[in-house]
Amino acid sequence: MLARDLAQSFPTVTLETDALDAARLLAEHRLPGLIVLDESGQPYTVLPGSQVLRFVVPTYVQDDPALARAYDEKSADQLCAKLVSRRVRDVLPKRGDVLDLPIVPPDATAIEVAARMAGMRSPIIAVVDGTTLLGAITVSGLLAHLLDTGTTR
Amino acid sequence: MIAAFVAAYVLIATERIHRVAAALTGAAAMVLLGVVDAHTAFFSEETGVDWNVIFLLLGMMIIVSVIKQTGVFEYIAIWSAKRARGRPFAVMVTLIVITAVASALLDNVTTVLLIAPVTLLVCDRLGVRPIPFLIAEAMASNIGGTATLIGDPPNIIIASKSGLTFNDFLFNLAPIIIVLLGVFVLMCRVMFRSAFVYDAQRAADVMELDEREVITDKRLLTQCGVVLTLVMIGFIGHSIFHLEPSIVALLGAGALVAVSRTQPNEFLEDVEWPTLVFFMGLFVMVGALVEVGVMSDIGNWLTDSVGDRYLLAGTGLIWGSAALSGIVDNIPYVATMAPIVNDLVHAGGGSDQANALWWALALGSDLGGNATAVGASANVVIIGIAARNGHKISFWHFTKYGLIVTFVTITIAWAYFWLRYFAFA
Repeated sequence: MLARDLAQSFPTVTLETDALDAARLLAEHRLPGLIVLDESGQPYTVLPGSQVLRFVVPTYVQDDPALARAYDEKSADQLCAKLVSRRVRDVLPKRGDVLDLPIVPPDATAIEVAARMAGMRSPIIAVVDGTTLLGAITVSGLLAHLLDTGTTR
Repeated sequence: MIAAFVAAYVLIATERIHRVAAALTGAAAMVLLGVVDAHTAFFSEETGVDWNVIFLLLGMMIIVSVIKQTGVFEYIAIWSAKRARGRPFAVMVTLIVITAVASALLDNVTTVLLIAPVTLLVCDRLGVRPIPFLIAEAMASNIGGTATLIGDPPNIIIASKSGLTFNDFLFNLAPIIIVLLGVFVLMCRVMFRSAFVYDAQRAADVMELDEREVITDKRLLTQCGVVLTLVMIGFIGHSIFHLEPSIVALLGAGALVAVSRTQPNEFLEDVEWPTLVFFMGLFVMVGALVEVGVMSDIGNWLTDSVGDRYLLAGTGLIWGSAALSGIVDNIPYVATMAPIVNDLVHAGGGSDQANALWWALALGSDLGGNATAVGASANVVIIGIAARNGHKISFWHFTKYGLIVTFVTITIAWAYFWLRYFAFA
């Protein structure tokens, strides 16, 4: 099966989308990440859910995870307040490079998609035909396909 | 040969290439020029790698890598901030004292690496700017590390070259460091006065932190406490036990690894191998100068020039070392100066006043690290941590405080040197 067959329509956000709305979209649809479009509507990059967490959890706690245990429940629950008045652009890693966009062409095979996903450690990958976004493949969707074909032989 | 040494030294000082690569290139040049061979590099006490320094550092790095897994630093820092009732200046004082004491017992970089994240947490909770706290900690680390033989790498080099003991360092340096720490706290009160904004609600947020939760392994904490105590007893009593500090540190590291059953990948992960290799290359470079007699020529010239004017020599050493340590890494500086000071001390027949030159070298080179943002590794590490957490500390921001602190501490250190070893000798 090729990438165009595996691709499904996928919610997108722009660089200017409110970060809190993007986080809600991730949570409500239980998505592993979101495809981010640039000002011209072209796919720009992927915003993985883990990047949202990386943004809300202070760097010093990521450096010293033992400190996370010192937080009381109330403070832990207020972590997402950091997303208020922020845009998706602010949440993305500092060196957001369009060349790092995890995309595959429509005729990529499943192994090509898997290799690209693994290499870029991205939970989703955009299927792009020229400049047109056809959809996206999630890691769970790809695994379901691979398991299905691999175990029925 | 001297040109090769100077070239490597310039590369280390300017950091055009990584200092480890520069030191190894310098050492290789000495070998290719025929000045150094395997015997002089590896087995000679005068011209070779100082294995006492290497293994003392290695042992302490292993001990620290196990201790840091316990969460004890985070515990002490949060506990202290709560005892300070969340009052910003009181919190800063407790963090300064913790950093200074820890730096006297462990290496400076590890200390600031452990204390900086918890400082950011406390400042976040207090709603105060963390930059003054972080700068104060870097400086407290450099001041505290001066107090003991194991506190700062230059002291380890001085101890190995001079034969001075852990207790010699404690009796001669710790008293003035306690005074300097007190003065430094007062200076912080003035320098960072705008940072101490008290907010009762924010202080209550600090009181909500639960320090007990950060202790990850109570059994390991007990084991570390016992072993670290034994290691300190070993350092203090090493002339009684006839054990070199390097052997004490290695025995401590071995004992801690054995009782804690820590895996090699865990206790070797935090060993700073580049630093150890840097030291080795540096020792070979300096050893080559000793081998061809350059160091003894400089030593003889200085001995003739100084005569018995040790106060003048010590004054020059303190101020000159402070100025140079603010600009270049104090480790290669002290490694180069140690053979020269050794000659001066021996020329003085090992008298108390001649011996005091070692303390002048230690005080100048250790405290001088505070002068600029790149004067000490702890400064560079703190600035890096601050930047990653969104708090930019520019070179001049750090240096404007550093120059003031260095001038005041060096002036007081010089007065101590003069009073203790000359005026009241």
